[in-house]
Amino acid sequence: MRKLLIVAALVAVTAPLVAQQGGRGRGNQPPLGPVGALGQEVASRVPPPTGPAPRLPDGTIDLNGVWNGGGPVNSIAQGLPKGETLPLLPKSKEIMADRATRETDDPHLWCMPMGVPRSTPYPFRFVQNYTHKAPTHMFIVHEGNIHSFRQIFMDGRKHPAELDPTWFGHSIGWFDNKDTLVIDTVGFNDKFWFDRQGTPHTEQLHTIERWTRVNEGTLRNEVTIDDPGAFSRPFTVTFNARLAAPGDEIMEYICQENNQYGIAGGHKNPFGN
Amino acid sequence: MKGKLGVLVACFGLLGSGAGLVAHHSFSTEYDGAKTFKLKGAVSKVEWTNPHVRFYVDVVDQGGKVTTWNMEIASPSALARNGWTSRTLKVGDQVSVEGYAAKVAPNRGNVRSVITADGRSLFAGAADDNAPGGAPQ
Repeated sequence: MRKLLIVAALVAVTAPLVAQQGGRGRGNQPPLGPVGALGQEVASRVPPPTGPAPRLPDGTIDLNGVWNGGGPVNSIAQGLPKGETLPLLPKSKEIMADRATRETDDPHLWCMPMGVPRSTPYPFRFVQNYTHKAPTHMFIVHEGNIHSFRQIFMDGRKHPAELDPTWFGHSIGWFDNKDTLVIDTVGFNDKFWFDRQGTPHTEQLHTIERWTRVNEGTLRNEVTIDDPGAFSRPFTVTFNARLAAPGDEIMEYICQENNQYGIAGGHKNPFGN
Repeated sequence: MKGKLGVLVACFGLLGSGAGLVAHHSFSTEYDGAKTFKLKGAVSKVEWTNPHVRFYVDVVDQGGKVTTWNMEIASPSALARNGWTSRTLKVGDQVSVEGYAAKVAPNRGNVRSVITADGRSLFAGAADDNAPGGAPQ
């Protein structure tokens, strides 16, 4: 009994402020419910509208709206057709095994961009620029992460023969039969991770996104990923984005402002800043 | 005696509770899903900043010593979409806070619940992965 008292006293001394709750959580959940910074969870909203997709006066699909989703979060493989697996080259498997030991190096945790096609769970919207004759650019405005935009040339130009690698690459786009926005991108750097699993790519990455508004509230993104440096063959993943609630707009998200990631867990910034 | 025994029992319960957690990526690298805390104090600072809003709580122990806790919650945009503003929590508010403690750094928490002295419960979210605007695909 004396030993018991000593142990109990030790617990009380070492954790004076931390009143441990004990009890097991429900199912897979920890004792206080779902983890993650509270408030990221959004209370249930009205379901997105399911009416026909709107069209511009010339009949082209209208992509207007704030969208949520449309890209991978945990694993890009979740966008594959059922039963398929990623055609990872042995080298890519090695990279993933290494990244599994240092998941805190995922660049977006340190306020670096998420690349393509990863933008979830941050909202985005399409903004078209045009002259009186024709579209010139499409921009994808991303709330996070990081607060940034992609520039897609819609004027018929081709990719330059040589490109310096960048996070979002060089994008050209067009509408396919007025139903689908096609975005063809090359010139990526190899820095971003496709997902939390650390699925890798190389500077040979070539993505072809096909954005189709299948109804008023749903935007389908079919992305063909071709990267002979990381995968044995091209493959296609599909993710759906959902129209945000009426009145919702893109908001500011300056990740670099006060990023304290790493301190609580004792992790070093792999980018050294 | 009964109380101390209770603490010990709670401690054993705690050891078992972390097994098999499927934790949010950045959460699990920073916070311990089995290490919960519950404390009361006064809000001493609010940082309405990205990527996470933080508020700081001064906790006074029985000896009068003040310890400041750094409390992490969601992003400003996610909180705003849940009805918060930068004025929801104010310096000087007396709060009761529950959450998960940091893995390494002392006096840091990932918050699950904030209850103010006048009884307002500041969180009432549904369980989604950390999507500001809805469940990610």
